[in-house]
Amino acid sequence: MPFVRRYKDMNTDLDALYKDIVKELQNEKELNVAKELKGDVNGVPFMSVTANRSSIPKMVTGTLREVTVTITGEKNDYLIEMHTGEWFSNLAMPYLGASILVGPLAGLAVAGTAGLMAAQYGRKLKAKIKDLVKKHSKEKYSDEKVETFIG
Amino acid sequence: MPFIRRYKDLGTNLDGLYEDIKKELQQDKDLTIAVENNGVINNVPFKSITAARATVPRAITGTLREVTITIAGVPDDWLLELHTGAWFGNMLLPGTGGFLIAGPFGAAAGAGASAVLAADYGRKLKNKIKGMVKKHSGKTYAESKIETFIS
Repeated sequence: MPFVRRYKDMNTDLDALYKDIVKELQNEKELNVAKELKGDVNGVPFMSVTANRSSIPKMVTGTLREVTVTITGEKNDYLIEMHTGEWFSNLAMPYLGASILVGPLAGLAVAGTAGLMAAQYGRKLKAKIKDLVKKHSKEKYSDEKVETFIG
Repeated sequence: MPFIRRYKDLGTNLDGLYEDIKKELQQDKDLTIAVENNGVINNVPFKSITAARATVPRAITGTLREVTITIAGVPDDWLLELHTGAWFGNMLLPGTGGFLIAGPFGAAAGAGASAVLAADYGRKLKNKIKGMVKKHSGKTYAESKIETFIS
């Protein structure tokens, strides 16, 4: 599920913020930065980076497949969208951590907890981005300047 | 939202199907193949391909950002997952095609109907894949052999 935040009156250096986010993705050994798009969309500055999993996972259900972080807007009014994608997420049974698959496909499900899980990674990256926004903003960070959209 | 189908008792040539899907993605001028993962997960054959948008879009809300197709399993029991990602999809106002926020983002929102929209693209690709499954299956296609999972 994508997570979008709108930041106002933060006077943020968006180029520096973007570069630090790219570095963060590059530092994750399971990910490979596959695509960067930078430009304007009808006069609104737009930067987007996608990193994909670079190897076959040990299990698929819920494992991180790709991450996209997009920044659009201006230093005093901008949006950040974070998307984390995972394989076969809707085959996992809620609350049980189990899969509805049996037969030859059962091996795809929950083979261990060593995988890079999308939900976990998303939580970690969200916290990191918050720190980076603070680092690159000249105005003080406060909750009134931030609006979150989910769903 | 990912779309998953489980196909049973079709005797499908999964390599042939994968190659045709890959060709289909390669033919779209707005997409480039970003990553391919082919291998085995706990003895289950697994193939996954992601194509990402190659250029900055003209409108962002709902525009196709990436497509991932994953095939896992054996000729008589396999899964296909189709994921289409869109930028800022959760900022669309349901039923109106409008945008939740105004200000500097207004222009970046729904600037034209000519953009490749994720929902449209996903629908078309789903239909094409159905045709390819029939083409590459050694046994008769029937609805009773298919189960769809949408969460």
